Amino acid sequence: MNEEQEINADEVTNDSQASEEETNISDSTQLEVSEFADKKTLGFGFWLATFWLVLISFLAVFSPILPFKDADKNYIAYEQKENPLTGKVQERPVQPPYAPSGEHWLGTDQDARDILSRTIEGARISLAVGALTALFGMIVGGTLGMIAGYFKGILDKIVGAIFLVVLSFPGLILAILIVALLDRSLLTISVTLGILGVAPIGRLARAQTLSFSEREFVMAAETLGAKKSRILIKELLPNVLIPMSTLAMLVIAVAIVGEGTLAFLGLSVQNSATWGKLILTGSGLSTLESSPWVAFVPMGFLFLTVASFNYLSDRIRDYFDVRDIFVTRD
Amino acid sequence: MPKPIRRLIGLLGLLTIVSMVTFGAMNFLGDPLFNILGPVAADVDNPESLKVIEEAKAQYHLDKSLPERWARWAWDFVRGDFGVQFSSSGQPPVSDLIKERLPRTLELMAVAQIIAVSLAIPWSVLAASRANRRTDKISTITAFAFVSIPSFAMAVILFYFFSVQWDLLPDTYTATDPFWGISHDHRLIQLILPGFTLGIGSAAAYQRLLRTDLITTLQQDFILMAKSKGVSKRRVLYSHALRPSLFSMITLLAINIGFMIGGSLVVEQFFRIPGIGSAVVEATLREDFPVVLAIVMIVSAGFMVFNYLADYLYTLIDPRVRNEDTSKPRKITSMGM
Amino acid sequence: MLHETDSANNILELSDYRVGFRTERGLAKAVDGVSLSLKRGSTLAIVGESGSGKTVLNRGIMGLLGANIIEGGSAKFQGEELVNTNRQKLWGTKMAMIFQDPMTSLNPVMKVGNQVSEPLRLHQGMSRKEARDRTVELFTLVGIPEPAKRFGEYPHQLSGGMRQRVMISIALAIEPDILIADEPTTSLDVTVQKYILDLLVDVQSKSNMSMVIITHDLGVARGRADEIMVMYGGRIMEKAPSETVFQEMKHPYTQALLSSIPRLNDPKHTRLTPIEGFPPDIVDGPQGCKFAARCKYAQDTCLTLAPEETTIDKHTYFCHFPVGTDAGSEALKSNEDKGFTAAGLRIKSKGEVV
Repeated sequence: MNEEQEINADEVTNDSQASEEETNISDSTQLEVSEFADKKTLGFGFWLATFWLVLISFLAVFSPILPFKDADKNYIAYEQKENPLTGKVQERPVQPPYAPSGEHWLGTDQDARDILSRTIEGARISLAVGALTALFGMIVGGTLGMIAGYFKGILDKIVGAIFLVVLSFPGLILAILIVALLDRSLLTISVTLGILGVAPIGRLARAQTLSFSEREFVMAAETLGAKKSRILIKELLPNVLIPMSTLAMLVIAVAIVGEGTLAFLGLSVQNSATWGKLILTGSGLSTLESSPWVAFVPMGFLFLTVASFNYLSDRIRDYFDVRDIFVTRD
Repeated sequence: MPKPIRRLIGLLGLLTIVSMVTFGAMNFLGDPLFNILGPVAADVDNPESLKVIEEAKAQYHLDKSLPERWARWAWDFVRGDFGVQFSSSGQPPVSDLIKERLPRTLELMAVAQIIAVSLAIPWSVLAASRANRRTDKISTITAFAFVSIPSFAMAVILFYFFSVQWDLLPDTYTATDPFWGISHDHRLIQLILPGFTLGIGSAAAYQRLLRTDLITTLQQDFILMAKSKGVSKRRVLYSHALRPSLFSMITLLAINIGFMIGGSLVVEQFFRIPGIGSAVVEATLREDFPVVLAIVMIVSAGFMVFNYLADYLYTLIDPRVRNEDTSKPRKITSMGM
Repeated sequence: MLHETDSANNILELSDYRVGFRTERGLAKAVDGVSLSLKRGSTLAIVGESGSGKTVLNRGIMGLLGANIIEGGSAKFQGEELVNTNRQKLWGTKMAMIFQDPMTSLNPVMKVGNQVSEPLRLHQGMSRKEARDRTVELFTLVGIPEPAKRFGEYPHQLSGGMRQRVMISIALAIEPDILIADEPTTSLDVTVQKYILDLLVDVQSKSNMSMVIITHDLGVARGRADEIMVMYGGRIMEKAPSETVFQEMKHPYTQALLSSIPRLNDPKHTRLTPIEGFPPDIVDGPQGCKFAARCKYAQDTCLTLAPEETTIDKHTYFCHFPVGTDAGSEALKSNEDKGFTAAGLRIKSKGEVV
């Protein structure tokens, strides 16, 4: 709705002032007249992103009972064709990969496996990695940050130092080191990626706790003699949770990308198809030449998911006016 | 003590901790002896092997305690001796590998950042000068999309279009040539695809920051003043508004450069650029600890130095903060790997 | 209409000039039908509180408001219609502006010398060296000590007064036909204010350019402007030659403005009378006189009927019950007797606002 209004305003502007292209540098000029700020709305994009995430999560969770094709089965197609040796028309297998068709909506790979099914199978692992990573980051980072922010003093110093050290590590090198030396289970990879989210989440939680712990309602609870643990959980946690969860969404996005990165380095979750692995298998020169969809379908899913998480996080941060800027990178 | 010096000492402390953690983790999680000797290391029943094991232990000080080994390593390290590569035949010094690999990564990084900045600036200026109009909205969505494309995906996309489909650009790097050996032009062409792979994402991230800052700047009185002086729109944007808007972008640029000293591992891997990033991946997989340790140290140090520089760099653009430490740009927390 | 003047002699002529902003609530009429004419080489002071529309009026004339506005009526500059045209060609050549706060209106990351020489190089085709020499000359003219050294300094290295002198040099560098000074001294120390104002008037009379001074302080206008225009709620309240305004003010708003500012020759501990209330809503404003809600003279007529223009000689005002007339005295007296005005403003018998 917001978008629509703005676009309409644009058109009116364009009609009324022909010379605006030259004269105008920015529409907004600060003057004595207060211009009414746009009402805070989450916008159409927010709901679109939410819809995609709900859809992909639903598909991932319920894929075993949904009527998808078997992700690991080879759907070799046959056709009636003349045998060049005998001259007889007989049923012969068609060389995969098969392009998208009514049978395989998004095509198959070189082993005639259904790409849609494999991508949804990949969503299960990739989303699980994202969720576990964010969970780990929020539990560890959030706890440390809140403790540091609430108790201050020496605890704050120690936790701050831990965050500083974690942030000083080159993240990806740390991740491949741990994964290479330990194992490549879902849990190890999630926890490893989660460590990277601990410090940013923790710092945010600390800052939020710090500012809220000076507020009246916390003071009031303290003077009433509430236990510290109670104040932390009942009074502070709800207020820290919203900004923290916006960051957690970014962490999910980073984790999904991180899994893909590890896959490209040959270090992703063992024995399962993840988005990263699916893209990697599709990105060889010959596969890209003959069947680009093998790489581009999972890539599209990954992109939409990462973009949705990024966008949601962005919008919610705007909405709740969280001022820090977070920059994700890979 | 002045603040910059205190911070430098803090950085040295951090580096020490980073080295300790890495050193400890590698020795706990891995088995250095095995990496040096191979299967022989496990063959303790055989007196022949046992002798070799004892010798190796003595040679690499593996019989000493962990702190002592770390201390020996650190002492060697500060004197410039990074140790030897366990996993290569003849065990050449680690510094040889670094000397070979680091320039490639730095060159890739430079190409990528030049691409990023030269895309981001006109892009942001265009968007900010049409703030909230259609051009700007489309460009914001585009920037958002590019930020959300991971570099491995970008690599596949660019590779597909420019190498596979249109066959315009070389897809691989002439890995066998030494860095200083082949003609420079040739290598720059090879760096176009990997450079764009890294550069487009960075450009989008810079655009998001720079556009916002530009819009804020364009609302300042001095912009109106410049306009009233009859300065053309273009000149207002580029010579009045741009410079005071660069702070956040410069900060992120410095952080990014620091980060990319580690090489974008994936891009180096994908385009087969034998840089520092692919070196660390190979070394990790082979558990070649001296190499990993040396690279971790170099990358961490570079990362920290550029983060540190980022805080002082904007004094170059803003004459106001040269003397006193007043306005700080927005807080940027970078997250990822 | 306003008094007849030879239009060839007028550099600026507005008639029923209007500027509106689109807002979510509707059109905000920031300037609501202003007519005036400015002679070549003369000075006009526009006086009013913040929110009275004086800044919008001037930026509107210059065409610096951006695309989000609606302009109406007529504004002629040297006989040329400005409304709804691109005025970029006038900027930096025929029109110049001095802004209120020299700290925010000078580019913080550009050497002040370059900010002055920029229009010289852009519009007068001077070389780098010529422009530099001219800038140093201008710096000397406006009384900046060590002009050559100041050339390479940044705004933050200068004092407020020096910065405003730099602004004035920019305006002078342009050699405009009209100079608009928007609250040129508000952000300065009282001691510097007088110097800067006198400097402005001095250079104006020497170069024979026309000048518009925007201020909220009637004292600033006194003795410096040929004519004073008092604005409120986007409309003209009163307009007259400078001394006439002080001697025979007709509008209660002018009176209120004058008694709300301290004067140097006031005895110590003179009580100032602030104007009660706030400027009117310009989106959904009052029907009658804009000032009625805050006016001690307000009667029922004021609330429903916008006053017509009254022009006596060169003195124009818009008021049903002008100060110093019988109707005005009667209105004030009846309000004082009642204890409140027609708009419900409570007043004491002495005429002071409670």
